[in-house]
Amino acid sequence: MGGVDVGTGDSGKRQTNAEINMIPFIDLLMVTISFLLITAVWVTFSRMNANAQIPGPPNPDKEVEPQTPEKILHLHIHEANFNLVWKQGSTVVSESTVTKPQGDVVYSELAKKLGEEWKVHGGHQDKSDKKIDQAVLHTDNSMPFKEVISVLDALYDTQREMAFPDGTVKKVPVFNMTFSVR
Amino acid sequence: MSGIGATRQHKHHDPHAHVIHQPGRRLMHGVPLHFVWRKVAGHGNRGVNAALNLTAFIDFLITIVVFLLMSFSASGEIGVDKNIVLPQAQNVEAVIEAPMVAVNGNQVLVDGQLAGSVRAIEDMGRMQKIDELFDLLKRKRELWKSFHPNKPFPGVCILQVDENVPSLVVKSVFQTAAYAGYPNISFMVKKRGKPGG
Repeated sequence: MGGVDVGTGDSGKRQTNAEINMIPFIDLLMVTISFLLITAVWVTFSRMNANAQIPGPPNPDKEVEPQTPEKILHLHIHEANFNLVWKQGSTVVSESTVTKPQGDVVYSELAKKLGEEWKVHGGHQDKSDKKIDQAVLHTDNSMPFKEVISVLDALYDTQREMAFPDGTVKKVPVFNMTFSVR
Repeated sequence: MSGIGATRQHKHHDPHAHVIHQPGRRLMHGVPLHFVWRKVAGHGNRGVNAALNLTAFIDFLITIVVFLLMSFSASGEIGVDKNIVLPQAQNVEAVIEAPMVAVNGNQVLVDGQLAGSVRAIEDMGRMQKIDELFDLLKRKRELWKSFHPNKPFPGVCILQVDENVPSLVVKSVFQTAAYAGYPNISFMVKKRGKPGG
């Protein structure tokens, strides 16, 4: 088994080769492996953010200044295509359509188009800008949730750098999603 | 040939030939069983004790321990309703500590407590506020505020929604959670690997 060779011990003294008993060491390793295997989490879950866009209560001491409405992306999910409409208030700024791939759960074409659209119309592209462009999802009531998540995945595919107060720069999705409510 | 004959002649004439012979092994001489003595004294076949080289085995064990330690998560497993099949997505974030609202094919649950019926929402056919869910979430928010009086409420809750639940139900739960003071809502998903990476 394991040994430490430190010479031949020719001087008549007792042997200088010491045998280390490896059995307890192997036992310890086995117990550690068993513990880690039993406590291991094999399925990891993640999350995707959304925001209900609820405004906070108004501050009566602060005078409200009129602001120019921001451009908001309205993403309509139809049976056969996606309709991308950029609106500023009630004014339609741009409109485009992406064909929906049938039987596919990954909408890569939509993700690509959303990235291109954001580069043209996105209002928060600077690294120091803490705000994120808004996207409103218009879905049919009977649409299964997995399809909504696939669209959300495409929406969060395009990312930009954002500087945080602690000096770090992180990549964040360019859109923040909410549902449309009638 | 002559040499061999001479040796034979010499042995024959040696008066001490029956007592003097070439010394053999003397260790283990006292072993009474002949076949055991042959084994231990090295006269038989090779020894039955084989030394195993454990170095490779220990290396293998250490590699497994290091791998398992690196993938070990101290935060533990997040409980997901066994009736819920989560959808998959690529662009995701790590899960945070927040109230869990589970929506399976039949029920709405808040941390395992019943908070509404999915069938009732589907039968109505329009978005609505789920009263039980609203009350439970509101109570949770008030409890959090009583424990953390000086901190701003994060307003985050996580929805575990089955992949086949219709959007109507998702939107109703989403809206109810927002009304209850949780506007920052996250959807729990299973992470899917990026293609080609």
